[in-house]
Amino acid sequence: MAKVFNWQLGREMDYPYEGTRPRRQFAMVFDTNKCIACQTCTVACKTTWTPGRGQEYMYWNNVETKPYGYYPLGWDVNILEKLGVQDQSKPVYAGKTLFEAAPPGEPVLGYLPDDADYANPNVGEDDSTGLMPQGAYLTMPHMQWMFYLARICNHCTYAACLGSCPRQVIYKRPEDGIVLIDQTRCRGYRECVKGCPYKKVYFNPITRVSEKCIGCYPAVEGGRQSQCTVTCIGKIRLNGFITTPDRADEHNPMDYLVHVAKVALPLYPQFGLEPNVYYIPPIHVPPPYLIQMFGHGVPQAIETYKRARDDKRLLGALMLFGSTPEILHRFRVIGDHAIGYDEKGGEVVRVPLTEPFQIRAFFDEARKVYRHNVT
Amino acid sequence: MTHAMRWCWRGAGTALWLLLLWGAALGQSPAPAVRVTWTGPIVDPDSLVWTRAPAVKVPLTPQVITVPHKPDPAIKELTVKVVHNGGWIAFLMEWKDPTKSDTIMLDSFGDQVAVQLPISKGAAPSPMMGNPGGRVNIMQWRAAFQHDLEKGPPTIKDLYPYAWVDLYPDEILGVADARPYAGALGLENPISRGVATPVLDQMAEGWGSMTAKPDQHALGKGVWRDGVWRVVITRPMVSDDPNAPVLLPGEQTVMAFAAWEGGNREVGARKSWSAWVPLLIQK
Repeated sequence: MAKVFNWQLGREMDYPYEGTRPRRQFAMVFDTNKCIACQTCTVACKTTWTPGRGQEYMYWNNVETKPYGYYPLGWDVNILEKLGVQDQSKPVYAGKTLFEAAPPGEPVLGYLPDDADYANPNVGEDDSTGLMPQGAYLTMPHMQWMFYLARICNHCTYAACLGSCPRQVIYKRPEDGIVLIDQTRCRGYRECVKGCPYKKVYFNPITRVSEKCIGCYPAVEGGRQSQCTVTCIGKIRLNGFITTPDRADEHNPMDYLVHVAKVALPLYPQFGLEPNVYYIPPIHVPPPYLIQMFGHGVPQAIETYKRARDDKRLLGALMLFGSTPEILHRFRVIGDHAIGYDEKGGEVVRVPLTEPFQIRAFFDEARKVYRHNVT
Repeated sequence: MTHAMRWCWRGAGTALWLLLLWGAALGQSPAPAVRVTWTGPIVDPDSLVWTRAPAVKVPLTPQVITVPHKPDPAIKELTVKVVHNGGWIAFLMEWKDPTKSDTIMLDSFGDQVAVQLPISKGAAPSPMMGNPGGRVNIMQWRAAFQHDLEKGPPTIKDLYPYAWVDLYPDEILGVADARPYAGALGLENPISRGVATPVLDQMAEGWGSMTAKPDQHALGKGVWRDGVWRVVITRPMVSDDPNAPVLLPGEQTVMAFAAWEGGNREVGARKSWSAWVPLLIQK
């Protein structure tokens, strides 16, 4: 295997191919604190891309409840158990990646789920870790908790699906880093389904080949954000392009959130795929669970996020979520507004850092009545 | 050199394997392709013509050369007979398989068998799907295709009896508009369906390069009975396809085989395969 540099692990690692990065990389930031699992993203994706025959239980986008929700069943705990406990306490990852843990004769450590594992996409939905006893009240972090984890393909820099395909049918586009399966050459071996630890490649039993999230590339090519992003009613998502930390541009909202503010973290970075969907971790969940899921940067990310109201720049970046269908390449905060710009530098959106609001007097002088929750 | 080949060549041990299998054909007495009197393609495994041909035992070895490996494949040996009628050459492969696997779902794999012939005359290419510059013709029979042809392609109700779906795009859109929702079927990916024959006529020049040919010439039929698959694969001996072998009576060539037991999750590189076996096409 070749040696490639994975900035999320802070070190080199093994990968089946040479480390060539795309000219720019499709990326998403999800704010888990704002997600209510309404599944509007799921339905938007489903109706756009996967309403066909053989795609009945295929969700390129899904939202699952953690810790007991999984789609497919047990996807993360299964591969975590196979990989074993790894040391991820330091910025330079001291454990093994899935490529480094590959058994002899296999490109990556993986497993093929059972068909039935996809049968209950909402398993564990809204299940909390436990019951609150009589008289108990929540403190931070919560002693009983759950949160919603929205998921799409991570369009990984070092995609395991791509590395697993013996036919080189899966490719990473040089223009935007979106990972695609060539539907004309795929022969349905399911090596990619086995290899992807996020289980974001699906097998279609009617076409007999594998399919996956296409990063809404027709939209992205036109400068627009993905369907799951623009339809998100909670405005938890931002879709754009990210660069590596050494070339980070603090005016690019994705670079700013991930590399400068460091509030958004990759999902299971220890797998070694350098995934490009970044999560703002939920502030109420105990850090040990989150560190296993998002890496060593969790405590700092939570502290920074909790101070967002005092940090105009961070607040400005967060307010741009869900503000426009256009991909924002740069942003600025001027006064009390955050302004987003397209690739050519044109302003496409201007949002207030604080939404204007009015407080009406408790007593209505005109009508001589008190206002009691009346509308 | 392809990525897969780099993997292969890394270890001296694997190179030794390759040489052993490549050279296994040398020194063997050739299996005969027996000339029979028959008009047209020979596709029936139960045809009486097979009584004319001797059975040749072809040992299969696990594919452990290129990633991913299959160190424990189920099929260890094929019983092979070859006949020709001057126009068509036909191969009958028999092997034991306690389970008939002809349904393709995520965790269900199909039984398959393939015959490989060199396309060019002269030194044989690698028996393992050829090599760059050394093209091979690989004809692969698929149990799922046999099922498609005999019983129709499976619907989602066949695969998941309790599935309930309100509407598909192709029920409300025209053919052209519904096509993008049909995935690989809409793109006519040849492995999606068995269309006219359960055999794919393909070519390769190394691992990962298998390509179904634009013109499909191979025919065949498989019958599973009493725990045994009996599969015929046949092709014209001469065609105008530059990527097809030219097989002439009186000449000697080589053939190789691969087999997959779906019940053992064998698919793609996870298979068992043979070395080149010398083949004499009788006059």
